[in-house]
Amino acid sequence: MDVLARNNVKVFGRGTQPMLFAHGFGCDQNMWRFVTPAFEADYRIVLFDYVGSGKSDLDAYDAHRYATLDGYAQDVLDVVHALDLHDVIFVGHSVSGMVGVLAANREPDRFARLVLVGPSPRYVNDPPYVGGFERGEIDGLLETMEKNYIGWANFLAPAIMKNPDRPELGQELEASFCSTDPVIARNFAEATFFADNRADVREVQVPSLILQCSEDIIAPTVVGEYLHREMPRSTFRQLRATGHCPHMSHPEETIAAIEEYLRQPAAA
Amino acid sequence: MHDGAHDPIAGTLLDDAPCGYVVFADDGTIRAANATLLDMLGYARDELVGRHVESMLTVGARIFYQTHFFPLLRLHARAEEIFLLLRARDGTDVGTLVNAVRRERDGEWRTECVLLRIVERRKFEDALLRAKKEAEAANAALVASQEQLEEQAVELEAQATELEAQSEELRTINEELMERGVELEEARAAAERANRAKSEFLATMSHELRTPLNAIAGYVQILELGVHGPITTAQQETLGRIERSQRHLLRLINDVLNLARIEAGRVEYRIERISVTDLVESVLPMVEPQMAARRLRSFVRVPGTLDVRADREKTEQILLNLLSNAAKFTPPDGTIRIVASPYDDGRVAVRVEDTGIGIPPEKLTSVFEPFVQVDASSSRRAQGTGLGLSISRDLARGMKGDLTAESVVDVGSTFTLLLPAG
Repeated sequence: MDVLARNNVKVFGRGTQPMLFAHGFGCDQNMWRFVTPAFEADYRIVLFDYVGSGKSDLDAYDAHRYATLDGYAQDVLDVVHALDLHDVIFVGHSVSGMVGVLAANREPDRFARLVLVGPSPRYVNDPPYVGGFERGEIDGLLETMEKNYIGWANFLAPAIMKNPDRPELGQELEASFCSTDPVIARNFAEATFFADNRADVREVQVPSLILQCSEDIIAPTVVGEYLHREMPRSTFRQLRATGHCPHMSHPEETIAAIEEYLRQPAAA
Repeated sequence: MHDGAHDPIAGTLLDDAPCGYVVFADDGTIRAANATLLDMLGYARDELVGRHVESMLTVGARIFYQTHFFPLLRLHARAEEIFLLLRARDGTDVGTLVNAVRRERDGEWRTECVLLRIVERRKFEDALLRAKKEAEAANAALVASQEQLEEQAVELEAQATELEAQSEELRTINEELMERGVELEEARAAAERANRAKSEFLATMSHELRTPLNAIAGYVQILELGVHGPITTAQQETLGRIERSQRHLLRLINDVLNLARIEAGRVEYRIERISVTDLVESVLPMVEPQMAARRLRSFVRVPGTLDVRADREKTEQILLNLLSNAAKFTPPDGTIRIVASPYDDGRVAVRVEDTGIGIPPEKLTSVFEPFVQVDASSSRRAQGTGLGLSISRDLARGMKGDLTAESVVDVGSTFTLLLPAG
């Protein structure tokens, strides 16, 4: 198994300590393109796509493996092993925050730091825990996703993607949606939004940074604060950036926060 | 009607274009919205402008906006044909198809969106989705049932293999049986040939034996008559012993001859209608002296109207045999009953019941075999060749009848002669 091809792994940068960037649900490694240039000089940048996303090998997709975040954590560890990475600074956006937690819990010796951008251990409310969503609202997301895949990805994309005479159509689709298979996208959404990693975050031994956005409906501040309370050796950093994707909407602030954290000694 | 003071769209051609139009900054703040969109959602312009674009989306659409729409705009600066479910002021959902472009305008990065309300298309899509899900479910069920069928097929195949093996086994057994059957048939034919040869031999021998016996009887009578001169009393007695021995030997030979004839298929039957009462009346007196000697009582119950179709002489012979057997094997002071009645389809049963020594169950069938008596001790108790019952049954069967026996040891025996009804 060629993990590097399977996960569309890209390695660059002039440093030696690896910075492994993991994308979130709904996108691929391209989402990191506004922040990685800032770290190229000092780090070895590793980008990858989860199986089922971006330009990963869709044939390697196994609905059973990727039914839970454990399968995605295995992707992270597969990449770590394939490149024999040590002392890894793991940067994960959104759901990848928890994927990083799972991977670091399994093999803590491989990881130096975890940088979690807009993380949440659980999206669905479970009183008194507040995650931000009711289950029915997640169903609304699934419906919206289905609608957006129905027109093309669902019916047209498979045919177009396999049309060797018109590769530009496939590329255009890829440019529109980071993951083009509706079944995979739905499974990823369910694995993400119905996950509950509250027990896992209490086990984390690797020092971590929680990058909390403002006005983030997907990972509200109460969730970031909960994480900071529960997760050992975590550092909490509130960003002025609004929304859920500060690395795209406010890359400078995001870069600065990460750089500052990496300069500091890790929390005990 | 709308306050357009802060909205550059108000009053322009775009304001009442047949599509919704909204402009928002990178941080999501709505900069402008046209009247068509405001009408679509039921907002006044100042209720929407200045707020976050998420406030006009359902929760599901907000997540989709954050995870898909926003990254798309960021990475590609445009998004096309995105389905977004808007949330109207009154809480109802409005399905829209959105085209968007992100570009720098008036000194900031803005996203401009055109929103087309889709009602019919959405219904169609809903129906399509439902149909797709149903088809998928049906397909899954089909796959499941196919798997089940395949399992059953495998099972059936296994059973078939097993059956085939069993069939093969049976075929082998059958072949063996057929081989054995052929052998048996050959053996049976050989036995029949041997039996016929034996019968021929016996018939011949009986004839040859009877001839000198007749000569003995004749010469004894000549001597008795004093043809060659007077005889003494002592000589008279001796001649009497010779005569009795001769008669006994003749009877034995006659029995053997009869059996041989029957087995050789040389017996002829003269079938006629006979009254059962007549038969009993003509036979019973023949055994009465024998019965009287042992103080046996007889009891006869025969309906006067009962007729059989049979050979009179041979039927009398059978009955005589049965009655003399009964008399022979019944201890003194016993009873012999003769009972006749219709039996079954066109047959009449004549039963001879005694209160004799009985026959053990294991011997009941063999009493009809030639030269068999129940045992050595009873053989000594009662004289006979052991041919009587065998001959009787052969004769009964020769007349399309039968002879059967039932018995309880020390209680008595019942012999049933079946004959065609007259």
